[in-house]
Amino acid sequence: MTATPEATFTALRTQLQDAASTFADGPAALEGILRGIVDDVERAVSEPLEIFPVCHHSPASAIAMARRLREKQPKTIYLELCEDMAPLLTELRNCRLPVAVQSFASEIEGFPADWAPLSVVAPVTEASAEYQAIAYALDTPGVELVLVDRSSDHVFQWETGPDGEGEGDGDPDAPEAAEQTALHGDAVGVEIGDLRPRFAELEEHLLRHGRVRHWSEWWHQYVELPLGDSDHDTYRQVMLLIGSLFRRLAPGDPRKVRVDEDRERYMWTRMREHLAATGTDPADCLYVCGAFHAASRVAEFGVHGSDTFTISPPSGTEWRHGLIPSSHGAIEAQFGLAAGSVSIAATEWAKNVRRTGVRPFRLEGQAGTRKSTRPRKALAPASASASAPVSAGPAADRLTGFLQRPPALDALDEAELLGWSVEIVRAARRNGYLASTADAIAVFETSILLAGMRDRAKPTPYDFQDAAVTCIEKDAVPGRRDVGRLVEIMMGGDRVGQVGYDALPPLARDVHDRLAPLDLKLQQRGVQRALLDIASRPELARCSDLLWMLRRLLPQGAARPIMGERRLGEHPIQESWDLALGTHQRALIELGYEGVSIEQVLEQRLRRAAYAPQATAAQVLEAVEDATLYLRSRRLADELGTRALEVLASERSVDGAPEVLRRVRRLLAHYRTAEPVLPPWIESFVKTGYAHYCTLLPTAFTDDDATVRQVAAMLGFLFGMEGLALSLGCDRTQLELALAQSHPTEPSRTALLWAAQTHLGTLPRTALRERCAELLGNPLVVPAYPRYLSGFVHALEPVPGLADFVVEAVSNAFARLPDSVLLPWLPSLIGTLRAGGAEHAPLLIREAGRLFPARLTELDTWVPPWRLPQGPPRMPVESAASTAAGLPLLAAHPATCDALAALLGCDGTWESPDVGPSGAALLARYPQTARALEALRAVS
Amino acid sequence: MTDLLRAPAELKYAEELDWLESIDDNPKPFSWRLSPKMVRLFVLGSERADGLDREIAPKWFGDRSFVERSIVTLASDRGLLLIGDPGTGKSWLAELLSAAISRNSTLVVQGTAGTTEDHIKYSWNVSMVIAKGQSRESMIPSPIMTAMETGAIGRFEELTRSTSDVQDALISILSEKYISVPELGSDQDSDNIVFAKPGFSVIATANSRDRGVNDLSSALKRRFNFVRIPVVTNKKSEAEIVRFRTEELLRRHRIELDVPPTLLDVLLRSFADLRASSAAAGSDDEKLESALSTAEQIGVLEDAILHSNFFGERALTAHTLASSLVGSLARRAPEDLAILNKYLHGVVEPRSKEEGGSWPEFLEGGRDAIATLS
Repeated sequence: MTATPEATFTALRTQLQDAASTFADGPAALEGILRGIVDDVERAVSEPLEIFPVCHHSPASAIAMARRLREKQPKTIYLELCEDMAPLLTELRNCRLPVAVQSFASEIEGFPADWAPLSVVAPVTEASAEYQAIAYALDTPGVELVLVDRSSDHVFQWETGPDGEGEGDGDPDAPEAAEQTALHGDAVGVEIGDLRPRFAELEEHLLRHGRVRHWSEWWHQYVELPLGDSDHDTYRQVMLLIGSLFRRLAPGDPRKVRVDEDRERYMWTRMREHLAATGTDPADCLYVCGAFHAASRVAEFGVHGSDTFTISPPSGTEWRHGLIPSSHGAIEAQFGLAAGSVSIAATEWAKNVRRTGVRPFRLEGQAGTRKSTRPRKALAPASASASAPVSAGPAADRLTGFLQRPPALDALDEAELLGWSVEIVRAARRNGYLASTADAIAVFETSILLAGMRDRAKPTPYDFQDAAVTCIEKDAVPGRRDVGRLVEIMMGGDRVGQVGYDALPPLARDVHDRLAPLDLKLQQRGVQRALLDIASRPELARCSDLLWMLRRLLPQGAARPIMGERRLGEHPIQESWDLALGTHQRALIELGYEGVSIEQVLEQRLRRAAYAPQATAAQVLEAVEDATLYLRSRRLADELGTRALEVLASERSVDGAPEVLRRVRRLLAHYRTAEPVLPPWIESFVKTGYAHYCTLLPTAFTDDDATVRQVAAMLGFLFGMEGLALSLGCDRTQLELALAQSHPTEPSRTALLWAAQTHLGTLPRTALRERCAELLGNPLVVPAYPRYLSGFVHALEPVPGLADFVVEAVSNAFARLPDSVLLPWLPSLIGTLRAGGAEHAPLLIREAGRLFPARLTELDTWVPPWRLPQGPPRMPVESAASTAAGLPLLAAHPATCDALAALLGCDGTWESPDVGPSGAALLARYPQTARALEALRAVS
Repeated sequence: MTDLLRAPAELKYAEELDWLESIDDNPKPFSWRLSPKMVRLFVLGSERADGLDREIAPKWFGDRSFVERSIVTLASDRGLLLIGDPGTGKSWLAELLSAAISRNSTLVVQGTAGTTEDHIKYSWNVSMVIAKGQSRESMIPSPIMTAMETGAIGRFEELTRSTSDVQDALISILSEKYISVPELGSDQDSDNIVFAKPGFSVIATANSRDRGVNDLSSALKRRFNFVRIPVVTNKKSEAEIVRFRTEELLRRHRIELDVPPTLLDVLLRSFADLRASSAAAGSDDEKLESALSTAEQIGVLEDAILHSNFFGERALTAHTLASSLVGSLARRAPEDLAILNKYLHGVVEPRSKEEGGSWPEFLEGGRDAIATLS
């Protein structure tokens, strides 16, 4: 095969030259292309290291590969796959295909920071040539598998911008990722044998003349089927021809061409290095690559190519590798293939294997496949029946005949089509369509007619799909599967792969081990219900801890609590969970790249969140809370708490105030009950917060960017933490000064300020009441009254004691406003209360319930408390009462008072209390009351 | 043919059909005049790769698979039901198919609320009945019955507009393929059954906006294959359709008038914009009542062309186009007018400033038209 004489392809050359001069105006450009293609084929065929061109997800490639491997039994296989993925391939046997080999880097170095995390996936399906090569190499003793393509690091090194997302996913027509199709996340896909016209016009032309709708169908019809049973040389030459054709007809964008050529240089350089290092004879090797790369024209091409390419050193990024589950749908979505095409390829593969009798390679112990019953033995050359004729000597020109011959079409497989027709009608019926046996007949007939119309001897699955849609789909009901989709499912459906336990990263294995007490098959896809009765089985508490962490780390739906919650200071008794770890296997595996245990990953995440440059105090406090809640780690909580303090001190906005208040309150409550003393950081936090919010308060009151809710939360912090802050050395004057400096103009903030002043005692309630009355009395201000009201509602956060006043203010509005003002205003009042008062509504309602009469009959006689005549100021009464309560004590123990008096320099003398009946003495002193009462009684 | 206002497709393209028939050596189902492949070629036009001596112009623009599925359905045992929004070319496709298959596209029943079973089956010539009694002679066959007798394609337009009992008269026609005429006696010898000849089938059309008015019974649904024709949203094919139909129109009216490509572009873009705004509208009041179909576009252009030809300066201007657009689309005052006004000010005005060309004149014409209407 090495010394192919020039003459081999002479006939083809002449033929193409004739064609060029016939169809084009002159033998110029067209001839150049056609001759170039023959040159490419010749060059690749005459290469001493056998090149095996493949196309991705092509059953024909896979069959040809299996045949060739049995026939040639190469000692070394070079495979076009990222070289750093090599160690993982042995783990494939623990998985159910399709799975994808993934390289993942979350902490990156040498790339723009916004590219993180970097992820490259290479999906592997069973119906692919690469799997055949991998299975052969790994299961045959003495065979070496060498991955020669650029490493994952180089995939990104060779990217020039963030929008150049590598090959495969650059197809703008690729459908939106959804459900199963999102299995790869946003990883960059790499694939062996990406073979597709690189410019749209060519593809469009091929599709139009092929009378097909999409590329996958074209490939199936015009390459896959004709190549089905051809011998090795024909297969190879045809694939090379197609690769070369697409390459030569691709003006393409220069960046993509450069990357392609650099990859070829890379691969050949690596292969030559390997050959030199091991001394392997190139004749014993097989180079498996995409047909596109097989027709390469770079100088480095071939065993004797030039060694001019320098491989750039990897960046400092640390890559981790693993296997993630993949699915046919995900592969189709990522590489812009037609929906269902990979499933159809899988079905074709299974059928071809049966039909041709080729014995495919399969990794020993591969999950999800039948076990091989044949004893393993060293491979013998395949029997003649199972292999194509072996060509001895130099490769003959197989192209001339092939191109002139009409495609060998499959005879109509009536039984298969009948089977499909019956099956689709059953499936349609199950999905709620009105379909009967008559429809099965119609689908069968229509498929044949359609195929005939499209010049096909046998209906392809795509013709069948069209026929089924025509005959069965009569109603499009949203939410119901359409018939097209049903056909896809029937043709093999979307198969979802699974990574086996042994191939999982340590973290994922650890998770499964720790969840073992639940006694569920968590590897399986689908949702499973876990019931944890922790009260009776305390050992399940550890599972519960783990599940809460998983809920925190995994995407929604992976672990969903149905009953039970985790809050600071609570202990679980019973919980029930919906677990879908099998479905979200990829997410779990990707967690495994971040650390060896889930706790470690969570700690890292919390730390990363807290130390992020954009972190806010509220976010850091959330991390503190999570550290306490999930990790129960006082050490981490303290560390993050200290960080929260730093962040708070440097914050200049009050956006996070409500959240900070909520979280600090919760943490304080927790520490007060759970710890003997408060952690130092939270004390400092309260102190700093008090000073911080005092400083910001005057600006916040006038700042348009700060909302009323935020200002209210600041006041809430100041008033709520006041006791603690003052005990730690803060000064109340600071707060008073801050309030004195605040001069809001906006009504709701003004109301808030009044409320704060009332709380501090600088504005008595009576004055507040008068102000509100003035507002209601002034028709010019009435339209702004709702906003004042909104301010009062928000003031319930810092001053909950004001609830009765708010009820009064609302009631007054109803009582005093005339209907002409009240009725148009009502909707805005309701709006205000709904928008601003949702949290405080229960408080208000309770207060209103207390103030208003409970029964209708009482309403007639009811007088609102604020309308009742104001009694004498209560202060003297209270002081009298307190005097009465304290006096006996003071008199019994006079030492304190004496000491105090001595300190103050007074000479106190003790008087004995008046022991007479105080009421009678009062009557004697003020006789008018008794007399008036007497007169009244006399009148009645 | 020349003295017809609108010739049916089989007359209009008679010469082309004859030629296709003469070169057609593919197998033909039943009594079809053309093989399925040739029917497809007739409808969708030829390509260089077909290797024909003459070019066949495309007559219907749309996805090839719709046409293929339709043809194949007609070759099978079932009737064909074309469903789609108004103006998507269902009836035109039906006409082309029946012209190509049976050279007769006029066997049409129009479904309306007043359609009765007699329109589908047969009725009687009363005076003949009085004179000669009930016989085949005094019977008036419906277009569908004629199609059965001649092995041709019968058409049923707007199937869902007719009432359910009338629709159901089709069930036996489609399954048994005969109509019995009990009035002619029940003896076996009497000529009381009209059998369908091979080649008979029915193409029905239904408007998807009328769904639910008289929904098809499941028995009838079962006897039809449904082909759903979507609204053309591809700008290229839409331009192609509008150009094709307009040329035909100009020929028919014998108008020597040029449609500048820039104006065609203005029309297409305006419709695309209005469609986008209709799609984004939250309620019916915010969207135009019109379906904004391709047919509507052709209507606007036709209106503008006729107006310029008879009242204008025999040249189509953007001004006329705009007033025709407003005139055709403003069906409800004030809702539609408000939407068009918003469109003119929000979209056309900035565009006329940025792009110039025909847009400023278009804007002015639109404003004038709105001012006249409001």
